[in-house]
Amino acid sequence: MKLKYSLLFIPVIVLICLLLVLGESGLSTDAVLINELRLPKVLACLFAGGLLAVSGLLMQIFFQNPLAGPDILGVSSGSSLFVAVWMMAGAGLTPMVQEWGMNVMSFLGALSVFLLLLFFLKRNISRVSLIIIGLLLSSFASSGISVLVSMGQALQLKNFLIWSMGSFRNMTHMELPRFIFLSLLSLFPVWFFLKPLNQFLLSENYAKSVGVNVKQMRMVFVTIAALQISIVTLYCGPIGFIGIISPHLARIYLKKAQLSHLLPAAFLIGSFLALLTELVLVMTPTLSISVNAILGLIGAPVIVLYLYRERSLGL
Amino acid sequence: MKIMEIKNLSIGFKSILFKEINASLKEGSFVGLLGINGVGKSCLIKTLSHLLERKSGEILLHGREICTLKPWELSQKIAVVLTEKLQIDYLSVFELVSFGRAPYTARSGHLSKEDVAIVDSVLEQTGIKSLSQKYFSELSDGQKQKVLIARALAQKPEILFLDEPTTYLDIPSKLDLIDLLKKLTKENNIAVLLSTHDLELIKDKVDEFWLMGKDGTFSTGSPEVMITSGLIKNNFFRSESE
Repeated sequence: MKLKYSLLFIPVIVLICLLLVLGESGLSTDAVLINELRLPKVLACLFAGGLLAVSGLLMQIFFQNPLAGPDILGVSSGSSLFVAVWMMAGAGLTPMVQEWGMNVMSFLGALSVFLLLLFFLKRNISRVSLIIIGLLLSSFASSGISVLVSMGQALQLKNFLIWSMGSFRNMTHMELPRFIFLSLLSLFPVWFFLKPLNQFLLSENYAKSVGVNVKQMRMVFVTIAALQISIVTLYCGPIGFIGIISPHLARIYLKKAQLSHLLPAAFLIGSFLALLTELVLVMTPTLSISVNAILGLIGAPVIVLYLYRERSLGL
Repeated sequence: MKIMEIKNLSIGFKSILFKEINASLKEGSFVGLLGINGVGKSCLIKTLSHLLERKSGEILLHGREICTLKPWELSQKIAVVLTEKLQIDYLSVFELVSFGRAPYTARSGHLSKEDVAIVDSVLEQTGIKSLSQKYFSELSDGQKQKVLIARALAQKPEILFLDEPTTYLDIPSKLDLIDLLKKLTKENNIAVLLSTHDLELIKDKVDEFWLMGKDGTFSTGSPEVMITSGLIKNNFFRSESE
């Protein structure tokens, strides 16, 4: 078990080192370049990938749905929509208010989608229906964003479009401390609530039967997951697939189901995928591929394979 | 000694499904809950285990109303095995059974030596010790039921409720499971109540029947009395004309 964890660290560390010394123009070890440009990017990959994976894992356990993930259930899109509204509406405000407002709005966007999903879940919809509702919420949010974009002014539009492509490179040196602080803040409560969250592996009723306060945990879960997804969405844009595939890869790799085992592994695998994607981008500077395009090429086949393997899943 | 007393209980989801339920559970008694589909057996089990809100009436545990107990206190007294089909990959039998220790473990959920010993003993008692390192998803339906029973026993409850535990099993597994439950009732001196449609299989094993009649009346009694009086025939089986 220990060995399996250690083996997960190695590729992550190797990728971090590679990304710190490799630039688009080749190998260079200029301190300023590393510190100002590459370090924020690497840390963005490390935490954003990890947070997405952890939120995906929580969602899969909580919704009892192996296909749940921040992007598929529309949480990332909800967060994006609210950010878009703020970008358009909050243009005249002071930078300070604008920035914090953005944090709050992205969180509220993610939270609203979760509350909607919980509303449907309470009405006993099937697992497939939940996924379809998520996809519809996602496309609703995208349509909303398109409408907003068509109303925006040139400068806002450009900023927004860059952001909405999804990239780990938008992270600036200035934003880094706040991003890391918020990331750690959103991870800490997961450890604190590990025991009751674990009981949801069986079912909500079984969790309740061993004394878990299900209503309270629902709110805890929604808050943590919404915070995690909103942080990633705000600083890196909507990033697909990492959230849904990392937990599965962690499960298949460790052959374990309990959260205490899966959380660190899913985090590392999420980080690994984000770093790997970034490495591909660095290696192909002439092609302007987006992060999400590469993740789609890796992620979609993995999900199809998973569904094929788990035909008996009763989705 | 009476563990649980039920007085004038009405149950239901949105509207009232069944009312005027009066009964009590004694330690060491093995009770069969009978009733046609949809009469509210699952609803009653969920209400008694406080998973579902009741409509009205009282449920007393050692004379104390169960809603006044803290959730973890209640989970040290009452355990359940539900009908829900569980789909969990890569969770070992030992791990799943140890989930039943949650009411006793600290915030971290870490199992003490005593917890591990209790999990081992319930695995032994339910005859699934040899499966403890297997994954739950690889087991047969009968084995899965035993694992869920072991998980419930790990809570060290005074009452065990089982919602149709024999439904998906073949005949030998059904008999095996009922014998196991009877043995557990006597060995641990707990009350066990299971809902079932397998009247023939349990009528010689249980100490008492609870019958949720299709005419809306609730009755309890020993199997002999309930069967010879025709109560079960009239209220459990569908009549010829239906």
